[in-house]
Amino acid sequence: MQLAGFGLGLRTPHYEAVLGETHAIDWLEVITENYLGIGGKPLHYLERIRERFPLVMHGVSLSIGSTDPVDLDYLATVKALAARIEPHWISDHLCWTGIEGRNLHDLLPLPYTEEALALVVARVGQVQDALGRQILLENVSSYLSFRSSEMSEWEFLREVAQRADCAILLDINNIYVSSVNHGFDPLLYLRTMPSDRVRQFHLAGHSDLNGHLIDTHDHPIVQPVWDLYCAAVAQFGAVPTMIERDDNIPELAELVAELQVARNLAARHARQAA
Amino acid sequence: MRDPQARMSLRHLQLQLQTHLLGVPSAIADAIVDAPPLPVLERLGIYRNAYQVRLIEALDDTYPVLHAVLGDEMFVELGGEFVAAQPSSHRSIRWYGSQLAQYLSTHPPYAEQPIFAEIALLEWTLAAVFDSADATPVPRAALSSLDASAWAEMRFEFHPSLRRLSLQWNTVAVWQAMSRGDTPPDPACADQPVPWLLWRQDLQNYFRSMTADEVVAHDAALRGENFGDLCEALVEYLPREEIPLRAASLLGAWADSGMIVALN
Repeated sequence: MQLAGFGLGLRTPHYEAVLGETHAIDWLEVITENYLGIGGKPLHYLERIRERFPLVMHGVSLSIGSTDPVDLDYLATVKALAARIEPHWISDHLCWTGIEGRNLHDLLPLPYTEEALALVVARVGQVQDALGRQILLENVSSYLSFRSSEMSEWEFLREVAQRADCAILLDINNIYVSSVNHGFDPLLYLRTMPSDRVRQFHLAGHSDLNGHLIDTHDHPIVQPVWDLYCAAVAQFGAVPTMIERDDNIPELAELVAELQVARNLAARHARQAA
Repeated sequence: MRDPQARMSLRHLQLQLQTHLLGVPSAIADAIVDAPPLPVLERLGIYRNAYQVRLIEALDDTYPVLHAVLGDEMFVELGGEFVAAQPSSHRSIRWYGSQLAQYLSTHPPYAEQPIFAEIALLEWTLAAVFDSADATPVPRAALSSLDASAWAEMRFEFHPSLRRLSLQWNTVAVWQAMSRGDTPPDPACADQPVPWLLWRQDLQNYFRSMTADEVVAHDAALRGENFGDLCEALVEYLPREEIPLRAASLLGAWADSGMIVALN
């Protein structure tokens, strides 16, 4: 069965509410690392929730752009979790999170060079072989870029996806945040994406710090991101869409209402794509 | 032609940025595009600040009572020092901070109040009990139904959540009061360390203190010794004729609490 519709990121404060009354939530995205190698309440809720909702797994520590060797032990635990909860897909970020065994717990940007491209393409191949499935890679928000870059971020993402045969999770908010922080045209980013590889959209809020933006996931989605989302739907059609909220987490109903905004906009703009 | 900093290898560039984010000066700024709306050092500052804030938040998630006991200012100061001293190598940030109790017990001014380290140890242990791996407990009835001849050789496997602690201070009383939002008692040091047993049953965390004879019996069981050995360990504490009953009673209590998951 193909995943469709509108989802939310599953967060601990919403466990009971998600299982309670019926909500207009079509699927849930879970943070992979939160459920690796554990038991108790978190796994108990995850097992119950998966009986009610289709799930996708979203990782934050794959570190696909790291120059350390691929961590096969980590991938084995990811694969074991996937075998248990049967997600529709597994995604992570086009970034690196640390080297020499360190984890900086952040989504650090890469220089967009041929060297980095070759490394990421090779590693995506290793990861997809180890997991036995295609993965989705997400564009990250960034606050710096490297002088050594030989291509744009969107060209780099497109090349990774096409050469490594992986799919794309397009984070609309991240495109917008980075476009302000680096001064590029977010529509050009969208136009460069290969339509057949875009499988999921992320939406989120951010913080505006007087001229630059921080991807904090602690606010409602702002109008320029909604506008970009409309453009994305017009271009790519009815791609499964979800909202991430990681801080200042409101009642579930408030996020469901925000998700309804996405539904309404998508219904209006998907016709253009059809 | 680009300068050498712009052409540094990916490995070198990652090392330079990581070094900077871990708080050690590096030449990474030279490799970063200097363009509006932000100067390079502010761009780097966003990542440097996020690294510290994120790890201190992770400590806060695991150590809420320690935070309350120390107060905001001291906790953030401790967090900053600890993050500088202990980079993370965990895939999940949930596991960051395992060494905090040890740090508190060896670094002034925290080491001057030994209860701080014990509170951290208790909170880390409770977090581990909360989400350690699952296993299905063996019911007491399974013990009762064993053939008498099988008892002496019987060995016991405990639930993965089970932990033991030895606490010298009134740490549990302080933790309980703070968790309820009550005023905690003043720190008090016991004459002897008190042994504690912590475990999870039906998704709930539990803890209780242990008697001296339970400690030696439990130690024996944890070492994989059989019921006969476990009885032998009680010789110092009880008359021989009372030992089988006491040992069976301890086992029954462990089983009732869901601590035993296999009989071998």
